[in-house]
Amino acid sequence: MILLDSVTKKYPGDDKPALDSVSLHIEPNEFVFLVGKSGAGKSTLMKMITKEENPDSGKIIIGGIDLDYVKKRHIPGYRRRLGVVFQDFKLLPRRTVYENVAFALEIAGMSGKEIRRTVPKVLELVDLLDQAKKFPHQLSGGQQQRVSIARSVARQPKILIADEPTANLDKLTTQEIIQLLKKINDFGTTILVTTHNENIVNNLQKRVVTMRDGKIISDQKNNGIYKLDGTPTPARVVQMPGHALKRQSAVAGQAPSQTRPQRRKVI
Amino acid sequence: MAETEEKKVGKEKKLKRVTKKSLRTMQRTKQHHPIRNQSRIVKYGAKGFGRNIWLSTAATVVMAITLIILFVTVVASVILTSTAEMMKDKIDITIYLKPGLSEQVLSELDTKIKSDSNVKSVEISNSEEEYAKFLAENEGSDEIINILDDEMKALMIAKMQGTMRVKVYDVDDLSSIKKIVEEDEDFKFYVDKEKAPTYDVNQAEIATITSWARIARTGGIILAAVFLVISILIIFSTIRMAIFSRREEIYMMKLVGAEKSFIRGPFLVEAEICGLIAGLIAATVSYFGFEFMAPRLASYGIDVTAITNILESNKLILVYLVFIGLGIIIGRLSARLAVSKYLNKS
Repeated sequence: MILLDSVTKKYPGDDKPALDSVSLHIEPNEFVFLVGKSGAGKSTLMKMITKEENPDSGKIIIGGIDLDYVKKRHIPGYRRRLGVVFQDFKLLPRRTVYENVAFALEIAGMSGKEIRRTVPKVLELVDLLDQAKKFPHQLSGGQQQRVSIARSVARQPKILIADEPTANLDKLTTQEIIQLLKKINDFGTTILVTTHNENIVNNLQKRVVTMRDGKIISDQKNNGIYKLDGTPTPARVVQMPGHALKRQSAVAGQAPSQTRPQRRKVI
Repeated sequence: MAETEEKKVGKEKKLKRVTKKSLRTMQRTKQHHPIRNQSRIVKYGAKGFGRNIWLSTAATVVMAITLIILFVTVVASVILTSTAEMMKDKIDITIYLKPGLSEQVLSELDTKIKSDSNVKSVEISNSEEEYAKFLAENEGSDEIINILDDEMKALMIAKMQGTMRVKVYDVDDLSSIKKIVEEDEDFKFYVDKEKAPTYDVNQAEIATITSWARIARTGGIILAAVFLVISILIIFSTIRMAIFSRREEIYMMKLVGAEKSFIRGPFLVEAEICGLIAGLIAATVSYFGFEFMAPRLASYGIDVTAITNILESNKLILVYLVFIGLGIIIGRLSARLAVSKYLNKS
């Protein structure tokens, strides 16, 4: 679904490349965390996928489209095939929640009837149907991010990429957003999320790709664990009590225990 | 080894084919439903105008003011030119004739001078008419009127010169008239030698008025052009500032895959609405402003008829259309330029 082959990108004036021969293959319906510290190259990689930047060398194939052949005039059409969620939401400030979501469908040329049928459904999915007439500035950060997600999934894209979607949100809202992304993934959408929040990565137990200095330094297919310092740690080595408890609770359909031991602090 | 290479090339070709097919499909969907897209653009443009009411109002007011300034410049130029023309029209050449010429002689002279194509009209008055004019000019003066007995009257008429007042089309070129007056035998004989025709006396005055008229005409055109450029720049800056504050929106729309025309459209519609309202305001203010000023200007001998004729006829609708058209065109052009700046950034 997403394939990067030896992608290199160096910004003018920089000593080191932002991406240094990065290769990555993401299968359909996968949920992948792309993690790493600031400056690791996560955002550059995302920009490559959204065609905001072009690689100096290497090949990028997204949803069967070789980006080498995507010319300037094709970019809007290509972007409409992706769902994109941003750290700062990027909602249209002078349009209501409804209009923001409808916008994604209007630019795809959908009829008014279809839009009127689709938008309420999508807003219901993100639990914002009652906020449809509000403007972004009247919503909380979490709600704004949910609108952003609603907008990105309204066209039912096969791929959704989210660049630090929880960076500006509190813990509880972060969990809500991640659960929402998980739900979307369950519907069959391939999801790539960049983050440096170790909690969400470690709690969700999905594939984790770690970047440092423009390179992929680890790719843990399942139950990936990420440490805040960017050091990849195999899941089998770090077995934290919190995880075990959580998994058990999830199986039993109960809330995790409030008395679980404090997780080991990672430097 | 060669087989692997062959496979790789085959895969590449397939990928290229699939990509091109996908891109073609994308391009086709882009061209779907132009009317639906246009109606959405208009809807969001109108909504945007309302939701950015302060910026829209500021832009509209600036546009209206600049359009009024433009109108004032054009009107001033037209008025100045027509006033100068009117003054030129008042200029005539007076040729003094010998006293006591018969009607037949005067008629012959009239025919001769009229043979010059530069002559617009000729007004001839004989000695008796000149005497009547003298009486009219001195009507209140009893001292003069009282001494005019019949003998005195006859003497005066005999001494009074007949005059020819000649109006010309081109006051700058009097050579042909001069030639007739100075070289024609009849004129040489009947023109009063002691009192020269006034074309030399009026030359300085004629030159002044002519240069005024020229300045008014060319200066007016230059000034109107300069103001037009300034107006466009002011309106452009205002709209640019309004769009600058919304450049993030343009970027966001691009990121979610909106076509350029779909992003640009509502901004153009907003600017056009500004132009439409500004045109209406400017035309109305200019109309009533001129109606208020016209009689005051006319009382100073300024010729305002050229503008009054336009405003008081059914051409008024045309004036409104010109104002609105100018507003819309300048607004649209400015918005297009301003949006392009952010739209073309990758």
